[in-house]
Amino acid sequence: MGLLEFFKRILSDFDASHRESVTALTEVEVKELENIFALLLLGSFIGLPAPPSFLAVELLPFMEREMKVLNRRAQDAGDMLAEMAGTIGID
Amino acid sequence: MKILFFTGKGGVGKSTMAAASAWQLSQKARVLIVSLDPAHNLGDIFGVVIKNGKKKFTKTLFLSEIDLKKLSREYLEQETSVLSNTYSYLKTLNLDTYFSILKYSPGIEEYALLTSIEKTIRDETDFDYIIFDTPPTGLTLRFLALPKVTITWIERLTQIRRQILEKRYTIHRLRGSLDSKETILDYKEADDDILKRLKKLGGNYHALDGALRSSDCHVVLVFNPDILSLKESKRLIEGISELELPLRLLIDNKVTEANEEMAEYVEGQMKGMAQGVPLERIQMAKTLLDGRKGTLYDVPEIIIPNSW
Repeated sequence: MGLLEFFKRILSDFDASHRESVTALTEVEVKELENIFALLLLGSFIGLPAPPSFLAVELLPFMEREMKVLNRRAQDAGDMLAEMAGTIGID
Repeated sequence: MKILFFTGKGGVGKSTMAAASAWQLSQKARVLIVSLDPAHNLGDIFGVVIKNGKKKFTKTLFLSEIDLKKLSREYLEQETSVLSNTYSYLKTLNLDTYFSILKYSPGIEEYALLTSIEKTIRDETDFDYIIFDTPPTGLTLRFLALPKVTITWIERLTQIRRQILEKRYTIHRLRGSLDSKETILDYKEADDDILKRLKKLGGNYHALDGALRSSDCHVVLVFNPDILSLKESKRLIEGISELELPLRLLIDNKVTEANEEMAEYVEGQMKGMAQGVPLERIQMAKTLLDGRKGTLYDVPEIIIPNSW
């Protein structure tokens, strides 16, 4: 590997890791939004005031991903501290 | 095309008044009268049997009875079939039948009712008048409120959905070449199934809401000269004005010589509540009271103002 190649690799890896870290928080945000979306639509299951139920019925067929996110968030909700630490990057 | 809703307490003569108006209007225009009341008696009033939902009575008058149970069932069957397709793997375990419980969801009947009104207004464009004979007060107010409530929900959900897509787009742009094919989620508005569905529903409801609030829509309130009817009509007037629907005519039905004094009182009260709305008094017709001779849909008074 030439020296130039070597530096190029370093630069591109550096670039990649930066991009990853920049998007990490936004990804968390998207997941939360998806969670909120699912909660609002399917909230009647846990006693939230729900939209007209037919709206939930209309959108249910396309909600697979949102429901998975909702499910995972519900499972993780027991350990919010670890969740937050993970988000901000404390190991 | 003009749309008329006949509302009022159960038993005040909504169906009879709607039928009489339809008959009178059909002398000069093409009229479709639709009964939304689960206890249909449109066929009884006109003395015919309405099969398959629609019947031609004269050249200019068509009768229609909407079967709510059938409508809700059809709607849910259609939705559950989409669901069962999406979750088709459940078929292997025979679990897909559990979706059928959705038919007991509250609100489905009102929604089916609303969908049928929307469809009627959209499809039956070659009539000059469409007259809806509505179910008793409670259900009527609930389904007339639905478009507004639903639009609010659809708008909020669309907003959240847009935010999700925007953020996904940001991630996609930042990560760029790092994205592998599997991890790219839809970020374009045109690709997202949920947003597409929301937009379509929003469009339908805005159209319906516009039609209900337009100057071509008239809500007619029928009442009788008695206290109970007056009290319920008060609630109905409040409900109608809360929903910003156009109340355009009051009908005091079943007035006789014996209850004329009461009629004066009730009419005075009603006028006070719905200021500026014209009031029509309909005498209890002897032919209607007896019913054995003559027709049940012909009253001597002109019910609908000529200007409509």
